[in-house]
Parts: sequence; structure tokens; C-alpha cells
Amino acid sequence: MSGNNIEKVKAAEEMLLDLGTLLMSCGASTGRVRITVNRIAEALGYDVELLITSRSLILTVAEGDTMSFSSSVRRTPPHGVNFKVVSGISRMSWRVVEEKLTVEQINKEIDRLIALPHYPRLVVLSTVALAGASFCRLFGGQGLELLVAFVATFFGLFIRQESLKKRFNPYLAIVFASFAASMVSGLSVKLGIGDSPEHALATSVLFLIPGVPLINSLTDLIDGNTLNGVIRGINGLVMAFAIALGLMIAMQIYGI
Amino acid sequence: MVLDLLMILEKGIWFGFAALGFAVLFNVPQRTLIVIWMLGAAGGMTKLLLMQANIGIVVATLAGAAVIGVLSVSAAHNKHAPPLVFSIPSVIPMVPGAFAYRMMLGLIKLAGTAVTDPTYHQILAETTSNGLKTMFILMSLAAGVSIPMLISRKDTIKKIRNLDNSE
Repeated sequence: MSGNNIEKVKAAEEMLLDLGTLLMSCGASTGRVRITVNRIAEALGYDVELLITSRSLILTVAEGDTMSFSSSVRRTPPHGVNFKVVSGISRMSWRVVEEKLTVEQINKEIDRLIALPHYPRLVVLSTVALAGASFCRLFGGQGLELLVAFVATFFGLFIRQESLKKRFNPYLAIVFASFAASMVSGLSVKLGIGDSPEHALATSVLFLIPGVPLINSLTDLIDGNTLNGVIRGINGLVMAFAIALGLMIAMQIYGI
Repeated sequence: MVLDLLMILEKGIWFGFAALGFAVLFNVPQRTLIVIWMLGAAGGMTKLLLMQANIGIVVATLAGAAVIGVLSVSAAHNKHAPPLVFSIPSVIPMVPGAFAYRMMLGLIKLAGTAVTDPTYHQILAETTSNGLKTMFILMSLAAGVSIPMLISRKDTIKKIRNLDNSE
């Protein structure tokens, strides 16, 4: 293997590591990470072996039937769930197969996907707050209770975003958010606003549900990625405990 | 009966909005938003219709999640995004928040009640029931969504093989 060739393998390896860790942190299941990385590597003419864990990715690239190979480890970056990236990378992986993109082109596409704008903050806050009000309606709330759930969810999500910005521990950020939301909705229980204000209290913390970890956990378990499935499940469980802790503190303060 | 159906239709709309909130939170591509709203509504209404027919909440949720799982696979082909982009936000409105909340309340009460207290066993029974419902509903949500995804993934591998053979 010539020096030039080694550089090329290294470049492909770097790109595959970026791609795999990015997918993992943006909320893809283990099986999807493996399939996508394999698909792209195969299209570029490399054989890869992967060890995927929740916090890091180990990857070995070999070129054809030469005995030369290269291994590297990369930590998973701390991005949040971002389905725009997951969906963009999945689309790109087919373009790699069909249009034979080069490593440089793939790197450019990954950078573009990361830079894609999120929804405006106010849009996120109000849509999630609307979801909170919808939950309240689904559990039998009416009129004013929907409004309370809306305001509580809006405030709770705002607190969570601020805590994450200030780099608090992510579980602690959930405790803060759950506490903030249930302090708002708990006030309505205390003051007796509406017919059954408990509905607002029970639903105002539901925006924190760890849906992605829990569903990916089961997908991984069914898929045979038992270890990652267990890790994700425990992660989801700790998040659920964090929600409960914030709710409990607020309820103790109000004496509900 | 007509009133019940109207009620279910109305709740379907709310299921859709709850799904939409999570879709925005998870930053899904814009072109998938409407589909997610419809999937959320479809899954929720399936669940409510089955519950109307006296089917237990766990099985009804499994069916609702399976409807979302199957539809999300076909949506994935049409809108060019992986199925999980559609299915995860759509099933979250079916998460048993009320049962989980009651279980939590029960646990707090249990921790503060003496075993000799006459209400202890009543609280224990209610908490166990709410906790089990929460657990099984969560499991059926995840299973209902994951299984169609896993089945359809075999299809894509077949497609890759076909591509290889045709070259």
C-alpha cells in the first residue's frame, strides 16, 4: 500500500467515524448506524468492521483484500436528537451508492447537514406547548386547564433549553424543567382553577418523556444489539426518574 | 354512537397536534410535518376505536402503534426519510402519562404510609395496577413501532442485493 493510498484510507476512516458518531447522537438506532456506515464504505470500496457503543465508535477500515487496515476510536458528540440530520444522512447514503460521491463531497454534505437551521425557538416553544395542551385535552382536561398546560409546558421547555445552554448535567436539566412546569401547573391546583386542575399537573411534564431512548432501546433489543438496548433503556429510565423527582419536589412544596 | 365517533374524531385532532409538538422538538424535516400529524391522529383514533369496542388499553395501544409503524414505513418511501422520523413523534401522544403520574403519586404515598395503616393495601394495589399498565403500554408502543421497521429493513437489504446483481 503506497503512502498516498494510506492517506486515502485515513480520510475515508475519518469521514465514516464522523458520520457514525453523528448518527448515533442524533437519535438513530444502532442497526441504522451500522447499515448506513457499511453502505457508504462498500460504495467507496472499503471493508469496515464496527463496534458501536452509546458513547463512542470503534471502526476498522480495510481496503480490498490487502492486509493493510486502520483502526480508530471516536467519542460520540453531545448533540441532541435531530431527525433532520438522520434523514439527510440516510438520503445521502443512497446518493453515495448511486452517484458515486467522493469522500470530500460526503464531508461537505455532512457539514451542510449539521449547519442546517433548527426551527425558530419561539416556534419550538409554542408548538411543544400546544402539544402539552393537546395531552391535557386527551386526558380529559377542558378550557382553562388546557391554557394552564400550555403555559406550564412553555415555561418548562424554556427552563430546559436555558439549563442545557448553561451546560448543566442533562438529567439535572430535566429535573429543573419538570420542577418549573409543575410549579406553574401546581399553582392552578392550589388555587383551584378549572374543574379538575390535576389534569394540567399530570400533563404539563409530558413534553419531557424520553420517547427516543425508550423506543430506540426496544428497537436495539429486538435487533440483537442487546448491550446498547439496555444502555438506552436505563438512560430513558433515569430521565423518567428525573421527571418524577422534579414533579415530586413541586408537589411537596405545594402540599398537594 | 355518533356522538362517540365525533368525540374520537376530535381527540384524533389533538393526538395529531401532540405528535406535531414532538416532531418540532426533534427537528424533523419540514416536508414530514403534515404526515406526522396524520400518523399521530391515525394511531390515536385506532386506539380509541378499539377501546370503544371494549378491547383492553394495552392491546388497543399495540394496534395503534402498529398502524403508525406500518404507515411510517410507506411514508418513508414517499417522503425519503427513515421510518423512525415519522414513527417516534407519532406514538409519543399514546404514552401513558396519566397512569405513570398516578403510579408516581401512589409510590410517594406508599413511602409515607405505615404498613399497619388500613389504607396501605388499597394504595399498594392501585399503584401496582397503574405501574403495570404503564409498563405494558410502553412496551406495546415500542414493539408496535419497531416490528414493522425491522421487517421493512429486510426489504431494503433485498433491494441492495438486487442492485448488486443487476450491475
